[in-house]
Amino acid sequence: MKINGEKLKKIKVSASNFLKILPERVKKIMKAPGSDVKQPASYKPNSLAASLHPEFIFAEVAETRELPGSTIMYTLVPDASRGTSSLAPFAAGQYVSVTAEIDGCVYRRPYSICSSPSEALPARTGLWPVAKSVHPYPNGFYRIAVKLQEGGKVSEFIHKTWQKGTKTVISAPEGLFTYEPLRDASNVVGIAGGVGITPFRSMVKAILEGSEDFSLTLLYGARRESDILFREELDGAAACSEGRIKVVYVLSDEQKEGFEHGFITAETVAKYAPGEYPYSVFAAGPDAMLKSLENELPKLPRPLRRKFVRFDARGVPQDVKTEPDYTAPSREFYTVKVRNGGAAFEITCGAGETLLSAMERSGVNAPSLCKSGECGFCHTKLISGSYYMPASRDFRRRADSVYGYIHPCCTYPRSDMELDVPVAKTPRA
Amino acid sequence: MRYDYDVIVIGAGNGGLAAASKLSAAGLKTVVLEKHNLPGGVATSFVRGRFEFEASLHELCDVGTEEEPRLVRNLFAGLGSDAAFVNEKNLFRTVVTGPDGYDVTLESGEDFEKSLVKACPGCEKSIAKLKKVLANTSEALEYNDAKNGNPNKLVMLMRYGKFLISASHSLDDVLRSLGFDRRTRNVLETYWSYLGVPADELNSMHYWEMARGYINGGAGIPTMKSYGLSLSLADTILKNGGEIRYNTEVTGLIFDENGRVAGVKAGSDEFFAKETVSNVIPHSVFAMDGRERLPSKDKKLLNARRLGLSFVCIYAGLDRSAAELGLNDYSVFVAHNSSTRRQYENTGKTIGMYVANCLNVAVPDATPAGTCSLFITVPVFPKSGIFDGVDAANYKKFKSDFSRKYIADFEKTLGIELLPYIEEISVATPATFARYFGVPNGTAYGYELSAWDGVLSRTLNRSNELNVPGLTFCGGHSVNGDGFGVTYTSGVEAAETVVSRLAAAGISGPAAAGISRPAAAPDTLVAKNGGAHEN
Repeated sequence: MKINGEKLKKIKVSASNFLKILPERVKKIMKAPGSDVKQPASYKPNSLAASLHPEFIFAEVAETRELPGSTIMYTLVPDASRGTSSLAPFAAGQYVSVTAEIDGCVYRRPYSICSSPSEALPARTGLWPVAKSVHPYPNGFYRIAVKLQEGGKVSEFIHKTWQKGTKTVISAPEGLFTYEPLRDASNVVGIAGGVGITPFRSMVKAILEGSEDFSLTLLYGARRESDILFREELDGAAACSEGRIKVVYVLSDEQKEGFEHGFITAETVAKYAPGEYPYSVFAAGPDAMLKSLENELPKLPRPLRRKFVRFDARGVPQDVKTEPDYTAPSREFYTVKVRNGGAAFEITCGAGETLLSAMERSGVNAPSLCKSGECGFCHTKLISGSYYMPASRDFRRRADSVYGYIHPCCTYPRSDMELDVPVAKTPRA
Repeated sequence: MRYDYDVIVIGAGNGGLAAASKLSAAGLKTVVLEKHNLPGGVATSFVRGRFEFEASLHELCDVGTEEEPRLVRNLFAGLGSDAAFVNEKNLFRTVVTGPDGYDVTLESGEDFEKSLVKACPGCEKSIAKLKKVLANTSEALEYNDAKNGNPNKLVMLMRYGKFLISASHSLDDVLRSLGFDRRTRNVLETYWSYLGVPADELNSMHYWEMARGYINGGAGIPTMKSYGLSLSLADTILKNGGEIRYNTEVTGLIFDENGRVAGVKAGSDEFFAKETVSNVIPHSVFAMDGRERLPSKDKKLLNARRLGLSFVCIYAGLDRSAAELGLNDYSVFVAHNSSTRRQYENTGKTIGMYVANCLNVAVPDATPAGTCSLFITVPVFPKSGIFDGVDAANYKKFKSDFSRKYIADFEKTLGIELLPYIEEISVATPATFARYFGVPNGTAYGYELSAWDGVLSRTLNRSNELNVPGLTFCGGHSVNGDGFGVTYTSGVEAAETVVSRLAAAGISGPAAAGISRPAAAPDTLVAKNGGAHEN
């Protein structure tokens, strides 16, 4: 048979084939082994997922180092005694969420990892092997820098109690503040404020070790020269980077030669921006700095498209009353009923306090990661009540808003409320 | 802690949500235990910057219009969901490069035939024959339903021969026998990836029951992404008095003294119930604590099966509108080799077959004004080896390189420019499916609908398989096969089975009177829900 010039293989089809369906099936099954089914975890995609995204990581403090400005850097290694033999890999710019149990209540706080991606991998087996001398922990390590925050319960707790040998629980690395070659320009202007230098320290190391491929001009804002973190390291990195890393210090409270003075403005960015346009701007630091950058960056002589401007997870607004869409409360305090798995709570939440914060200090084991509204880890069903969620922190899916789900990390009560909060999977300590 | 319920549903995927919705509506005290913190399983979405990305759904078939609702709209309305859909007129644009390549667009409804003839001149006679096969299939299925799944075999043989052929041969063999040339066969077989088996193995009847749902009903796309469907079902469960526990992973089965499933363990909590529905794939259930008490005959079945397709999904948010970028089609199927077998067996070394969707074409406000989203889906067959040499340390680079290759290929194939406009990008791989759903090998389609393990074959033997006392399976891995719509119907069917079993035991919730009909007879000859299979 020939159709459109193509010779067709003659094909035999027969209705009696139908009668073969069931016997063929039975034969096929009978022939198969009756042994236990292969465990899902043993397949490559599953084992890959398990090493990339463990539910949590048991870690141990291996080293502490005092830094300027009431900041301490902690080195965290896997705690094999509790079953964590290695750390999940991460991309420079990501954070881990630290769990702290204080007076029976569970608190969680995100801290950017400031070590390099290859340092998280077991020594010598990584993609970018490093000498053992600079990789003193054979099972890999993360470093985080914790600045003592005024009234900061968790930073205070960490500073007071963490020492070599302290055991803790952290999340797997998370966060979207990472370099993506398909999206970002090959030249990046990094803007760091204070302890916001930490993700950039990781990026600088990643560029030097070759795990990231971009050029970074770092504008690092600090109050005084003495507050600058990692100064020697950053200068050293710039010196040996063959021009891929440049560091400019901007001091707000001091005027000194060799330093820029004031806050980081459009002018500062334009002055140091790479010749090649467009470039990307990455910024990490206090919310006030990021807010000011939101006003400054559009003033650039050659403004950047939105895709070229990326901010680190920025926490809750420093002063929620200054949010443009702020809704004033009717009362100072509200009562919130919380279902948390099999448990039930009735707690008080201040009008200017987030629901997550109130739950944490009231002993509810609520999940959280970014505490900036963007990761969705604290996703919660609103049973009743009204709330205020700043648009700047509202990264919910459209259907979430329609069907009444909230991210308590950035939500403020505006009436008495009732919530159904899943129990955090991370152990309490 | 110990908790007691009438019914436990393990997993809040499509099947689990539909089942729990139906069960709670029947007044049964129902709890859904979900390991993730969201409902929906793959029917989900995620936010990056100002973009919300659909995670998995391309389109549902047999949705129908608001005026003439069909299976899917009826199913959601029947469960009390307020989910809304839009309809997409075009079936797809399919571009195959190379000497025997083509670039054609097929339309749905009355224009289907016209668009097919335009794409593949000279196929009119074969189309007429195909229509006879489809008509005969409809009549056979109606007859089977009328006989409650116990048709007279002689009648089937005398009157429904065309149906019997279609039901017992591969799609490609049937199309060949109808005289379709290769190009037309390839065009007609475009949807093969929605069912995950190449056309030389894919059951013809199953394929056409799905394709017909697109051709007749037109594709339906939810207005708030598939996640909106998931939340709408979760909403019905809560309104019916049911419970959903998130972050609650079932780790073991509890049996009573007669070997019947009496409940489940989730960490240190124990949940007891009269019936348990598993939306979790049997492979994972057979890996839970208590697995030694599961029937060994079912281990043979599971060991005989092949795991289904997985996918690499590339989600890009672009800072130009679809029109500005030249993205004018909702679905574009791209391949550089017209053989569906070759497309299926792609090893990852060359560019494999992929589907590119631009949601804004169907749902203009899916992303903010002046932007659009691109969703590229690349099927990954179980032995593809795409993860050869990939480890946790170079995984990020793997994702980035893979995406660049496919986006660049799509740019070249369509002659458009996309890379400079990427504002957000995210990539899911088989490891992502493994992470969130615990499925073996990251399969998204459960068990492959291989020649011997198609829907008809599963249906014919369903009374002998996976009939663990007290445990009912539903989802893409179950009898009706993979696809979005069938996972919902499988959940409803599982709930009906459970409700009727409980009713037979004298147990019914206060509202159980609302349940309309008993479960399908276990020896039903042919799956009743012809439509609603898709990806």
